[in-house]
This record gives sequence, C-alpha cells and structure tokens, in this order.
Amino acid sequence: MSKGKKEGLAQAKAKSTAKAATVFLLPALLLIAIFIVYPVIDTFAISGYKWNGISTDRIFIGFENWKTLIHDEMFWKSFRHNLTVMVFSILLQIPIGMLLATFLDAGGKKFNIFKIIWFLPYLMSSVAIAFLFIYALATNGGIISSLATLINGKRTTVDLLGTSPNALFTVIGVMAWQFTPFYMVYFIAGYGNIDTSIYEAAIIDGATRGQYIRHIAIPLLGPIFKTACTMSLIGSLKYFDMIWNMTQGGPSGSTELMATYMYKLSFQQFNMGYGSCVAAGMFVLITAIALLFNKVFKVKEDY
Amino acid sequence: MKNKFLAVLFASVLAVTTLAGCGSSSAPASGTSDSKSSETKTETTETTTDTASASTGKQTDGKNLPTLTTEPLEILLWDIATDDPGKSTQEAAVQRFMADYPNIKVTQVHQQNDNYKQQLVVAMSSGQCPDMYMHWGGGPMAEYYKSGHAIDITDMYAKYDHPEFIDAAIAQSSYDGKLLAIPFGGLSGCDIYYNKTIFAEQGIEVPETIDELEAACEKLKAAGYIPFSLANASKWTGSMYYMYLVARHSGNAEFDAAYTQENGGSFNSPAFIYAAEKIQDWVRKGYFPDGVNSLTADDNQDRALMYDGSAAMMLHGSWQSSGMKNDNEEWYTQNIGVFRFPEDTEAKAAGVPQNVEIGTAIGNGFSFNCFKEDGSIDQEKLDACYVLATQYYNDDTYNQMQVAVGAIPSIKGYGADTVDDPNDKVVANVFFSASNVQLWYDQYLPASVTEVHKNCMTELFGLEKTPEEIGAEEDAAMQKAIAEQ
Amino acid sequence: MIITHESEQNMVALDNNQDTTIENEYRKSKIKSRIAWTIAFIFALIQLVLTLTPFFFMLINSFRKQFDMLQQGVFHLPDPWYFMNYVEVVTHGFFGFFFRSVVVVGISLVLMLIISAFAAYPLARMNFKLNPFIYATIVAMMSVPMHVTLIPIFKLTTNIGIYDSLKALIGPYVAFALPMSVFILTAFMKTIPREIEESAEIDGCNRYQNFFRMILPLSKSGLSTLAIYNGVAMWNEFAFANTLIITPSKKTLPLALGQFKGEHSLDIPIILAVLTLSVLPMISLFIIFQDKLVKGMMAGAVKG
Repeated sequence: MSKGKKEGLAQAKAKSTAKAATVFLLPALLLIAIFIVYPVIDTFAISGYKWNGISTDRIFIGFENWKTLIHDEMFWKSFRHNLTVMVFSILLQIPIGMLLATFLDAGGKKFNIFKIIWFLPYLMSSVAIAFLFIYALATNGGIISSLATLINGKRTTVDLLGTSPNALFTVIGVMAWQFTPFYMVYFIAGYGNIDTSIYEAAIIDGATRGQYIRHIAIPLLGPIFKTACTMSLIGSLKYFDMIWNMTQGGPSGSTELMATYMYKLSFQQFNMGYGSCVAAGMFVLITAIALLFNKVFKVKEDY
Repeated sequence: MKNKFLAVLFASVLAVTTLAGCGSSSAPASGTSDSKSSETKTETTETTTDTASASTGKQTDGKNLPTLTTEPLEILLWDIATDDPGKSTQEAAVQRFMADYPNIKVTQVHQQNDNYKQQLVVAMSSGQCPDMYMHWGGGPMAEYYKSGHAIDITDMYAKYDHPEFIDAAIAQSSYDGKLLAIPFGGLSGCDIYYNKTIFAEQGIEVPETIDELEAACEKLKAAGYIPFSLANASKWTGSMYYMYLVARHSGNAEFDAAYTQENGGSFNSPAFIYAAEKIQDWVRKGYFPDGVNSLTADDNQDRALMYDGSAAMMLHGSWQSSGMKNDNEEWYTQNIGVFRFPEDTEAKAAGVPQNVEIGTAIGNGFSFNCFKEDGSIDQEKLDACYVLATQYYNDDTYNQMQVAVGAIPSIKGYGADTVDDPNDKVVANVFFSASNVQLWYDQYLPASVTEVHKNCMTELFGLEKTPEEIGAEEDAAMQKAIAEQ
Repeated sequence: MIITHESEQNMVALDNNQDTTIENEYRKSKIKSRIAWTIAFIFALIQLVLTLTPFFFMLINSFRKQFDMLQQGVFHLPDPWYFMNYVEVVTHGFFGFFFRSVVVVGISLVLMLIISAFAAYPLARMNFKLNPFIYATIVAMMSVPMHVTLIPIFKLTTNIGIYDSLKALIGPYVAFALPMSVFILTAFMKTIPREIEESAEIDGCNRYQNFFRMILPLSKSGLSTLAIYNGVAMWNEFAFANTLIITPSKKTLPLALGQFKGEHSLDIPIILAVLTLSVLPMISLFIIFQDKLVKGMMAGAVKG
C-alpha cells in the first residue's frame, strides 16, 4: 500500500520532471535544430555527391567521397596538425590560464590592473591578431629577428612563419596567446563559484593558502576544469579564423587544418561534394574525440 | 510583398549612398576628364559615344544596341568595389545608366574581395546568383559557365555596338571559343619596379637580358642590398618569377602544352625546369630576402623592403605604381622606375618570342546570369545588362575616371599616350607591344591545380623540392583536373 | 598583498603558544611564500609585456601613415604623429556600424544567456531519461565547423525574407553560441550544492521558482563568463555578417574594414584605427563588469 503510493509519487515526480525539462530545453533545442542540426544533415547528404557547389546537376556517387577521404593524405595530415594544435593548446592555455587566475584570486582587487591587461588579447579580433603577428614575427624588422640580431651581434633571421615545422608551432603559440586570457577569466569565475564558507572553514582550520588551493579549490574546480579542457579540445580541432588570416594553411600545407582544407575545397576549388565529406569527417572525428575525452575523465556527478 | 518593400527600401538606400558618394568624389574626377578629353577624344573616336546623343538625352542614342524595355526591371549586380577610387567610378557608371533608363533599378552590391569567391559559391548554390557579377576570368569563369551561371554573349557582341576591346582582353573573356564576359577593370601588367637611386649609386644600367639582370643582382648583393623584394607567403608573387622565366624560355608553347598535357606537354618540360632551377639558384645566391616564404604581399611587406631601402627591385603587378604613389608620391617619383622582364638571349637566338607578357588584360569582367523562372534566358534583362556593361562601364567618362587613377582600360586607343605616370607609360608600352598576354597561372589554371601550383611556389623558393618534383606535382594535379572534367 | 599578510596573521596567532621548531617552520614558510610571490610577479610581468605589446603595436601604428609605418618599421614610435586615420574612419560612418553592432550583439547576447540558462538547468539538476542523450547531442553540436552552415542559413534567410537585415544575424549568433554555453553552464550549475535546492524545495518552491530564485542568481559568475566569451566572439564575427548582409547601411562593425581594403589596396594604419576603435568599448565593458567575476571569493577573503 505505502509502497505503491511511493511508486506513484515517484512516477508523478518523474513526469513533472520530464515536463519541466521539456519546457526549459525547448527554445535551445529548437534553435540548435534549425541552425546547426539541419546544416549537419545537409552536409552528410551532400557528401554523397560529386558536385562543384554551384551547378544544378549533382551526381550521386554513394560512398566514393568517403573512400577518397580515407586515403586522402592531405586530410590526415591536416588532422595530425589539428591533433598537435589540440595537445599543445590544452597543455598551454589551461595551465597558464589557471596560474593567472590563481594569482589574481590570491591578489584580489589590487591586481585588477593585471587582470584587465592580461585579458586584452582575447578582446582583439583575429584580423588584428593576424596583422600583428605577421609583423611581429617578420624576418625583416620583426621583434624576434631584431632580438636575435641584437644577441648575436650580426644580422640574424629567425624564420618562424615561413618554414615547415616552425610555422605550426608559431601558430600554436599565437593561439595560446589569444585564448589563454579567456581560460583565465573562466577559472576566476570558477574560484568565485566556490562557497565562501569552505574557504573560511579551511583557514580557521589552519590551512595555508597554498594548501587551500591544492587540496580544496582544485578538486572542487574539477568539473570546471574538465569543461575548459573540452572547450579547448573542440576549439582547436575546428579552428579556422586566425590561421586563415595568418597563413592560409601555408607554407606548403604545413599549417593546413581540417577546417582550412575543407574551406578551400568547398569555396575555392569548386569541390563542394568532397568538401562536405571532409566537413562531415571532421564532425565525426571531433565528436568522437570529445565524447571519448568526457568518458575517460569522468568526474563524479550527482543529480 | 515584404520582398518588394525590402527591395524598394534597399534601392532607395543605395541611391542615397551612391549619390552621396558622387557628390564628394566625382568633382575632381570630372575636372580631370575635362582637361583631358581633348587629347583622348582624338584617339578614341572610333570607340566612344556619339557626341550628338547628349542633345536627345540618353548617351546610347543613335547606337546599334538592343532596345531596352520600358517596363520596370530590377538588376542585381555584384562587384568588389568596396573602396575608392573603384567605388566612385563604378557607382557613377550605374548612376548614369539609371538616369538614362529610370525604369531600370540596378542594385549594386560591393562584396569584400577576400571572401568574394565564397560569396558567389553561396549565392549560386542557393539559386540566388546575381544577374551580373564580376570575376577575374580564367578557371573560375569556365566553372561558372559550365554550371550555367554565365550566358554566352558571342552573338550579342557580334551584333551590337561595343567598345573595341584589345584582343588579349577578348581572349581572356572567352572560354572554349565563347565570349562569356565584358571586361571593365583595366589591364594589369607585371614588370620589375626598381629603386633608381640605388641603381644610380651602384652604376647599374637597366638590364635587358637575364644575364645582365644576374650581373646587376651580383653587384647589388655585394653592396649589401637585397636584389629582389619578394613576399612569397602570398605565393602568387613568387609565381610571377616562375611564369616569366618560363615565358622567356619558351614563349607560350610549353605552358600551353602543359595545360592540355597532350603531345608530350608537361610541367617538367625544359622551360619549367629552367625556370625552377634559375629561381633556386637565385635563392641560393641570396637574391631574395631572408624568410621569403614568411613575408606576405597582402600586408605590403614587400613594399616595406623597397621603402626602407634594403631591396632594389620588385617584380610585381602594375597596381603597385598607384599603391606606392598613394603611400608617398614624393618618394615614389624620386626613387621608383620600372623595366620589363629581361630577355633570354639563348632562347631569342633560337627564335623564341621575347615579348610574351604576364598579367591580366581584363582585370575584372562582368558575366551575366539572366534567367527566367523556367530556366530560359531572360533576354530583356540580358539586354539591359549588356548595355550597362558595354556603354556605361567602359564609356568615355568611365575610362577617363579610370585613367585618372592610373588604370589602363583594355580598349584600343588607350595606352602609353593616355597615361601620365612615367612608370605606367612603360607598363602600357610593354603590354601593348606584347605578342601574347599570359594570364596569371593562379587565375588561369583550374582551381584545384592553382592550389597545388601555389604550394609548389612555396616549396620552390624554400628549396624544399627539386624542380623535377615540382613539375611532377603540377602534372599530377593537372591530369587529375582534366580527368574530372 | 592582502593574502601574505593574512596568512602571516594566522601564523602569528598560532605561534604564540608553540615552541621554536614551529617558529622555524613559520620562518621557512614565510621565506617560501616570499620566493613564491617573487617568482609569480616575474611571470606576471612577462605576461604583462606579452599582452601589452600588440596593443602598443596597434595603437602606435594607427597614428601613422602607411609609408612611414612600412619605412620606419612597425615598432617605431610615430614620427610625426598622424591623426587623420581616425578622422577618416569616423567620417566613413563608423558610428553607424558601431550602433548596429551594439544592437545585434546586445539582443543576441541577452537571448542567448536566457535560453542557455534555461537549457542548462534541467541538464545539470534534473534526472530524466533523455538527459545524457540530449547532453551528448549538444556537446556534439559544438564540433560543427561553422562554414558548413553558411549555405543552409543563407537559403533559410532568403526564404523567410529576413536576408539582408540585422534580424538575419540574431538567429545564427544565438544558435552558434548555444552548445558551448549550455555545456559550460551545465558544469557551473553542477557545482552549486544540492542542499540549496533542497532547502528551497522544503520552503515550498517549485522547479520554476527554484530556477529563478536560487539557480539563476547563483550562476552569475558562469553567466558573466559566457557573456564575455560570446560577446567578444559576436562583436568580432565576420563570416555570417558578410554573407547575410549586403546593404552598406545595414552592415556591422567587422565589415567596416572592407571600406579600406580593396583588391590591391590596403591601408593598414586605417584598418588598425578601425580595430582600435572597435576594441575600446569592449575594454571599457570588461573593466566595468570584471568585478562580477570575483564576488564569491573576495567576500570570503575580506571576512577571513
């Protein structure tokens, strides 16, 4: 009797939960369906065609594009570049962002000026950043080459953007420069979210600030930390803007990423069918990596 | 209903902005055209408008042209004239047309150059291709035509009046023997800009053969100058050297053969190997700036090397004259001269023509995409577009505004005599005495081959691949493109 | 340096009734903390230089003529200072571009924050069958390359007649910011202690009241992070703006650059002037709102 009542209550609760969830989620799901899911389906559909993107005729070729993709050296090369960018982005942006946030959190209001200046790079548009670094890294009159000349005592050129392995790492550095400030702000917000009573309790218990950060703040920031990594991971796997403005994938494809490759195929080389296939492949790979990452680093969650 | 409202709003807004544009900028332009008209008219009487037309209103009166509809008509036009002087020149042409044909509304959309090709793909793919749109000819124009977005206007061009375009311009507006575009951008040559002061200081004469050019480079190098300013991150800039060396060594013959890949044609034939080896030799000798592949022409880094006096020469498109003049006219006049790419003595002795020039004879062309709902050609609209492109773009006023800013219309009668700038005179002379004008490879080749060619230019100047490897890569790309057609 | 001071105080309090070994340890930890702060400051200064240099570059070069910039090198102080770039930018309708951007970004941002908070709430705090699936789908949508949506969205806007209006931008801006925002907010809402909600429930709040009274206010720091992240992205967004708007009098700020950039002409100092003017309001906003980010921690620190 009482058991049945309990079940009924649980059922009613589940029902009301489902109803509430639907109400809350509906606007977001609707917009995502129209503006993102539909284009994705469209992309997968086009990947089955040989199509230049502008003609009314498209020829259905089944999985031919996908077969090409699997053996496409350029695509896998771009993917490897993306992976390199991903690994270094996570290794650079997140820890540095975390350090800066910890510094600011410890310093409080007095350090506001640091916070504001450190945040500047994120506010700049990719166009501006590309301009800046093309000049800053120029072999003629750029900062690095000028410094090298000064140190070496004779005219020394450091070619960071024009040679093959350098260019990719240079771009990774510039990306870190651009995005680290965001993670800084993100972690500041994370610190802000920790219940102040926890901090008070820790200090009353005699913990030093270092101990508080190591043993209390960082574990509490777990989910925030994981989210940041996922963002950086996805962001670097589909990165386009600044690379396009800075190198367009060059020199000779050494900074080609999946997104720039896809863009060239679809919009410059009249190969929309295959370009869509690359985009679809990209989508599959990124989603798989992101979900895998979230599975592996499962943080204890409770509802 | 809503669309109509939008369209009207749109057109009125445009009219206001264009008028405002005219008010501020056309005054000096028309001033120049007045002072110049006496000298230009004598040379261009055969091509330009009948002056009698002014009395009856339309500037097209009395000409052999299709009769345009008197019904309301709307034309959507895309160009890349986002900034002056192109903007005011082109908006003025449309204004003149609309003044003569008030029932026809031309909506002129200025797209940004960087993303223009993408914008066209998006619009064409969605069935929203503009009625007339600009492009650069070459491979993409062929693609637009094959996809049904560029109407063949060969017959119209034969039937009706039109400016007397130079042959090279007609050739570059055609594909497969069909005329697909009306040029309107003016020609651009490609020559070597040099610092006169440095040349004088080092006692160097303008070189006429490649041997002399190399000797000059040696001398400059020894004196601590960078012989050539080159920003090869842009790739098409390095391609200019490659194209010219190929052209001097074999005229058009080997490139044309490689383009079809027939009769033994290959990007590995002697002229291509010669060009690639020469370039790599020059790279090794230090004739180009350090980190040549990291400098970008889009950011004017090659001009910077000329400005700060570290480099002595720069092979570049003729738009550089007005670019440098805009930056600092005084410095430009004092220091900058130009000469044509030197000759290959051996090839000349073997009878290879030494006056094939690299560049574009059309600059920009307009293609037409005027179709009815059912897919048949909308002749009324096409007629209107044709009249607009041939009689208002490319008319006297238009051409004089072009000339005033250093452009050279690709119309017979214009040339060295109609330009003021001494360097532009040289450019025009070289261009008009060319036996053939080879369009830039990166515009001429199919788009997929262009990408490979551009990457090859990085590898060539970066000494990452041998001339043979580069030729083989270009061959493979070309064969793949041919197979896919 | 509030903190060192604070921990010192704590330590001093402990010291009073302890023996000398602890005093030594205290001294050690004091030295340690000094060293730590010195190192931290050195890095802070390096980071300061790294982030300020580009601004310096942007500013000084926006006050020169292109020729001077190219001839003297870009890290040379303007000689002479040239102010006409700014005059030119302002007389080319800069404020029009600016206000249209403010309108689009403002509306999109508010909509996006509300909708994503709505969506994150059930994902973070409710247990229902489809939760993991919906969450995974939204995460997957983060990996969609933006360019594949250009053609479908162009078609959509022309079909429903909002092409070439500011309205056309709001949909894509909100939709594209959603997956990332929902993802982040879900993480933030998960850090809010369960008990808070339960106590509210005991007080008789239903889920909707719960959301507005408890969860939303507590997510402030997450929401402000999102506002910053997406606000900057929308403010600088180029591809959609360039594709969906063609009338000059409707264009937004990132398209203002086009006026100074032609096929073969590019005036870098003017473009840098545009970029400087576009980033200034962002900086001022950040200065005003950055305080919101540290509320929680600071309250504790001051009390302690």
